Amino acid sequence: MNRRDWLTTFGMGLGGIALSEMLGRSAAASGGVLSGCHFPPKAKRVIYLFQSGGPSQLDLYDHKPALLAKTGEQLPDSVRGGQRLTGMSGNQSSIPLVGSPFAFTQYGESGAWLSELLPHTAKIADRLCFIRSMHTESINHGPGVTFMQSGSQIPGRPSIGAWLDYGLGNEYDDLPSFVVLITKNKGGQPLMSHLWGAGFLPTKHQAVRFRSGSDPVLYVNNPPGVAAENRRQLLDGLRELHEHQFAGTPDAEITARIANYEMAFRMQASVPEVTDLSTEPAHVLDMYGPDAKDPGTFAANCLLARRLAERGVRFIQLYHQDWDHHGGLRGGIRQECRQTDQPAAALVQDLAMRGMLDDTLVIWGGEFGRTNYCQGLYKPGAEFGRDHHPRCFTIWMAGGGIRPGTTYGETDELGYNIVNDGVHVHDFHATLLHLLGIDHERLTYKFQGRRYRLTDVHGKVVKDILA
Amino acid sequence: MMRLHPPRLVAILFAGVLAPGWACAAEPEAAGQPARISFNRDIRPILSDNCFACHGPDHANRQAGLRLDVAEQAVAELDSGTRAIVPGDAEASELVARIVSTDPDSVMPPPQAKIGRLTEAQVQLLTRWIAEGARYEPHWAFVPPVKPDVPTDADHASQPLDRLVAAGLARRGLALQPEADRAALIRRAMFDITGLPPTPAEVAAFVADSAPDAYERLLDRLLASPRYGERMAADWMDLARYSDSYGFQVDRPRPTMWPWRDWVIKAFNESLPWDQFTLWQLAGDLLPNATDEQRLATAFNRLHQQEAEGGSVEEEYRVTYVNDRTTTFGTAFLGLTLECCRCHDHKFDPLSQKDFYALSAFFDDVDEAGLYSYFTQAVPTPKLRLLDEASAAALAQADEAVGEAAAECGRADADARARIAAWIADAAPLPEAFAAVGGMIPGEVARYAFDGRTEDGRFADALGSKAAATSPDDNTVVPDARGGSPCTALHLTGDHPVTTPVGNFRRSQPFTISAWIKPSARYDRAVVFHRSKAWTDAGSRGYELLVADGHLRWSLIHFWPGDAASVRCAEPLPVNEWTHVAVSSDGSGRAAGLKVFVNGHEAATEIVRDSLTREITGGGGDTITIGERMRDHGFKNGLVDDFRVFDRTLAPLEIRDLVAPGTLAAALAEPRDAEALGNTFAAAFATEPALRRQALEAARRRRDDLAERPPEIMVMRDLPEPRLAYVLERGDYDKRGASVEPNTPAALPPFPVDQPRNRLGLARWLIDPDHPLLARVTVNRLWQALFGLGLVQSPEDLGSQATRPEYPEVLDLLAWQFSHPRAEGGLGWDMKRLVKTIMLSRTYRQRSLADEKTMADDPLNVWLARGPRHRLPAEMIRDGALAAAGLLVEKVGGPPVKTYDMPESFKPEKADAGPALYRRSLYTFWRRTGPGPMLETFDVPKRVVCVARRDTTNTPLHAFVLMNGPQFVEAARVLAERLLAEEQGQADRALDRAFLLLTSRRPDDEERAILRRMHSDQRAWYDRHPDEAAKLLAIGDHRRDESVPAVDAAAAANVINALMNYDGCVVKR
Repeated sequence: MNRRDWLTTFGMGLGGIALSEMLGRSAAASGGVLSGCHFPPKAKRVIYLFQSGGPSQLDLYDHKPALLAKTGEQLPDSVRGGQRLTGMSGNQSSIPLVGSPFAFTQYGESGAWLSELLPHTAKIADRLCFIRSMHTESINHGPGVTFMQSGSQIPGRPSIGAWLDYGLGNEYDDLPSFVVLITKNKGGQPLMSHLWGAGFLPTKHQAVRFRSGSDPVLYVNNPPGVAAENRRQLLDGLRELHEHQFAGTPDAEITARIANYEMAFRMQASVPEVTDLSTEPAHVLDMYGPDAKDPGTFAANCLLARRLAERGVRFIQLYHQDWDHHGGLRGGIRQECRQTDQPAAALVQDLAMRGMLDDTLVIWGGEFGRTNYCQGLYKPGAEFGRDHHPRCFTIWMAGGGIRPGTTYGETDELGYNIVNDGVHVHDFHATLLHLLGIDHERLTYKFQGRRYRLTDVHGKVVKDILA
Repeated sequence: MMRLHPPRLVAILFAGVLAPGWACAAEPEAAGQPARISFNRDIRPILSDNCFACHGPDHANRQAGLRLDVAEQAVAELDSGTRAIVPGDAEASELVARIVSTDPDSVMPPPQAKIGRLTEAQVQLLTRWIAEGARYEPHWAFVPPVKPDVPTDADHASQPLDRLVAAGLARRGLALQPEADRAALIRRAMFDITGLPPTPAEVAAFVADSAPDAYERLLDRLLASPRYGERMAADWMDLARYSDSYGFQVDRPRPTMWPWRDWVIKAFNESLPWDQFTLWQLAGDLLPNATDEQRLATAFNRLHQQEAEGGSVEEEYRVTYVNDRTTTFGTAFLGLTLECCRCHDHKFDPLSQKDFYALSAFFDDVDEAGLYSYFTQAVPTPKLRLLDEASAAALAQADEAVGEAAAECGRADADARARIAAWIADAAPLPEAFAAVGGMIPGEVARYAFDGRTEDGRFADALGSKAAATSPDDNTVVPDARGGSPCTALHLTGDHPVTTPVGNFRRSQPFTISAWIKPSARYDRAVVFHRSKAWTDAGSRGYELLVADGHLRWSLIHFWPGDAASVRCAEPLPVNEWTHVAVSSDGSGRAAGLKVFVNGHEAATEIVRDSLTREITGGGGDTITIGERMRDHGFKNGLVDDFRVFDRTLAPLEIRDLVAPGTLAAALAEPRDAEALGNTFAAAFATEPALRRQALEAARRRRDDLAERPPEIMVMRDLPEPRLAYVLERGDYDKRGASVEPNTPAALPPFPVDQPRNRLGLARWLIDPDHPLLARVTVNRLWQALFGLGLVQSPEDLGSQATRPEYPEVLDLLAWQFSHPRAEGGLGWDMKRLVKTIMLSRTYRQRSLADEKTMADDPLNVWLARGPRHRLPAEMIRDGALAAAGLLVEKVGGPPVKTYDMPESFKPEKADAGPALYRRSLYTFWRRTGPGPMLETFDVPKRVVCVARRDTTNTPLHAFVLMNGPQFVEAARVLAERLLAEEQGQADRALDRAFLLLTSRRPDDEERAILRRMHSDQRAWYDRHPDEAAKLLAIGDHRRDESVPAVDAAAAANVINALMNYDGCVVKR
């Protein structure tokens, strides 16, 4: 087959049919193991705004007037009930309760309680579903975040996005199906790349992390001194070498290689295009707030997430660090809210305006909550902190088949234990998969002789929050 | 309850089973049914995959009392009165009824298992198997390999393994492919043995060598190359989860583990017999007269992740480490997945939860902490000091000097005591210094009476110095009574520190600290005072007086628990009463130099640790703090009074004076006790002993300073008394069940009666030539390294869920050979000979392309109907490009290096400069939470856990790395410059040679034409864009060769870079 024949056959000319369709799907654009969804999906894609460090539910979402009234009193043993504490406060001789110093108000027709720190979220309260009864098993960040992202506290299992890529594949040729965006210049608890890794799944299912620098994907840009024009010539030559080789060695490995180099070339255009926010109109940038023009901020990442979602990326995982307020909570949480409240709300609104919220699931939340007692000694009016609290925390979800304007689950009057409708991490994962049309018990991967799933051997779908 | 199955369906099935001629069909496998049913090949996989989860080894989840993995139980009468299997009578077997049932309440597997119905072929197989007598076989991998019968050499295949493969292929109507051409063969062999491509000269020599033993000589030459050890070490590093960082959340770099990696390279190059390679790593420290090298090998067991995240529970992580060692042992040496058994009995293999904890008990006895030190760089214990000859000699000399100085001290003390004895005997005058003392104790640094706060809220130093102590108001001065008299004392909350400005003693400095203390409870753990930054967060670096389980414990610590000197009082500390406590250290850094005096009398102590090897200062928290420590348990509601610090070791008489002031003066006034006064004189007042003590301290300090220098590496060393091990319910570290003794799993050979129940015994159990697993697992992994796929496809799991190998006889043959002595016809565990045996085979030497149908039907090459073909591992792609460019630095071993891509890592690191950029890839700095992006993109696992198999993906992201990554752009440029210079600027000749360097063959005419076209395109483009050429050529650290014109160099570099992306360069064929 000469070059001309090959081009004709495989549609490589300008405007030709996507090569991967002709050659079978390439490694990057490929079908998943599930031949179809188990039931009709409500959500086609997910944007997960992960708030790393453990945001204090008591100062944002879970309004506890009784706790405020008991500020300074000791946490009763009957409430603590033998809960293991971290080594941070576990050896403290005194554990004084502390209510939120922030004012709470009800918003929207749904009457959701929100603290004064979230004025923008307040405006879209009727679009959200607050789950105040999330609970987990980890008391520290490393295992906690790993659990939220992979269903296991110990690193080594596939992350949620990897499961989806494995199950549903990638419908789109020019971008990966699983992308990670991390707020730049943040301190706090470190993130680890296994959080978006493929675990024991083939590595191709791991996320592609988009960076805020000039190379959004590792080495996506031509090196200095190479332009698209001469790169194209080189790729043409490389393809001819492969075609020639294929004629003598008819091996599918070679055709896959050809396809990958073509996809790489397309990604060299599509990645810079999608990450270029300068084409966004001013009113959209304004909606996301002043940070939106600064690449790598949470605001810019929220906007980029929308652009990726528009282009068919299925799972967009954002990370925003520094919610770990063991001390200095008053000032610290205020700063994180300033950076995240407006962009997160704008994202939901923006998706709604574009008609995308119906099939885009947006999630906001961290790895655990924070204690209703003070870490260290309490002094009225002074700065204070809260330790990690696995027994209850709040997340919100919106769009993608979630019942809007809902508050689900309830904690006790001191905000320490769940009294109604607890949602375990495994339940959260089961529900997430359900919204994407997947029965969490049937998306499995056989590894080391066992069928593994995201939800281990647990998890039940939280039906009450489904639209 | 038994449900009736539709009789008609069963009748049809049986008609099929019993149909005459079934078993002697000409091509039975084509019909999907074997001629003879083998339990292991045909039945166990079905039962294991579909039934064992509820009817298998896991007793806790066993349903209906039915167990199908054990013959006796599978045929037994069930509670329901039925029998699952009636051998020889399928119709009477409930199992058959259930698998064909259409009733959702009855059918097996049940719908809620969500694994679907059995296929018709599976139903037929099970039915036939029962009808034919339901014969069970033990799982093949649990039976020792025997030398299989090898078919006769009909087609002159030279090797027994070829005959086995050829016979298997013949059954499919296939045959071995002819040998690959010479260039392909040397390329394949070079990569497989050395991980590098052949040079053009090597290719030419091999192609020209027509001697019959040319190939064998090639293998011998390659196996003797030091590159072999590097290539083999890379795979072993995946299994060993080797990393230059600790992992988990904090993932701090740990810069001293690489000597273990270098040992692995050396062991491969010397072909240390595999049984010894295994034994040293598992238990080298326990060998009689273990050498440092044998101890170093045990670092294998310490390469797991470790955590330092603040607030983590220490025991939780310690248990995690023990589990990791155990599961790594399972994966790497047994080829069994043990993870499941942490929480419950294995669902598929006969491994119980008790088996797991009995096995893990072997790995539970090291003196380690669950958390490494966040605030210090201490190497977690146990550890090995890596001494070169010069430092060993210097240390020995320094030790000797300390010994001499100590002896002189002893002599000076004896002289001083003799003077006092003579004085008491009225034979000599009282030494003037002693007479003048008047009961004052010299060397006091600070004294806190805690009678009240100063105006600025502090606690004054009663000596009048500026050493006032500070404390929050929460600690209060309270009235109390001691010895019948009223007193004031400081009440401690346990959460608030009293901070002093004194006490930064090194381990060579003698000192004494005393106080009255009154504990409010029998503390499990309480810090009385300490000089350290924190507890686990600093490895307790410093010194500390604790109450532990109600007893006083006095310790000097570099890293707790393994690098410390510590003693514990035999008697408990009285509760709710005042006790005077004085503790001292004599500067020796040994437990014997630590003394505790209770109410003026030296207390009986037992040694808790006596293994201090490094300094106790330098970890922060440089002064004494009373009553509280970061993330530790404070002296809650305890009282403390009259806290005194001395910069010398007090004599017993002086200690008694601290308890009862005036004792010393009284003793002097009526001198009777020659020993007490003599000791006091020598310790505090005599001139000569003081000078000798100064000399001793200086000698110790010199020794200590030297001891700080050598690097240390984590290794294994068992505690003198093994820890009691327990079954942990649901795997939770804090839910201890029954205790267990160290033991091997019941389904495997018994633990030898003549071996100790420790890792050494375990290793010897494992390396027995008749052990069913070690040789098979090792051979299988090597096969995978050479062929891209193991004989058993899951090298990490040879258990019942493993795919039955296509060629079990090949595996058994090689395993038997590998593990048996050469005298018996084996290979004597010689890895190089095993490599050579496989690579000499015709099976290995085959051309890698088969006919189209075979390629399609067997894409993974399970049948071995062709030679190996797979994308090269990450290391070989990078090393190959560097070698071809002439950039590769062939230095073996040394500290890890940071490559060009490290600044792009998730945990960015500055790249090195110079030769470090061109080392072989296995030396790349490995950080688990942010590995080197190039290697990670090409599927090197994160090395978080033991991995026996890498993916081989093929994604567009590879193209970015190879086309745009500076390592490859630079390599292409350097190669272009070199070849153009050597070929006097003739691009065609240069590109021909580049093709040969990168693919090990010369281009054919069409390829040559393509290369020319590519080059002329690039040439034309750079002619139009000369500035761009300069930019391209500026990439990389390596100096540009200005003798080659920029446009020429850039054009050729781009074509060469494209070749680095070519299948012929990155795929082994």
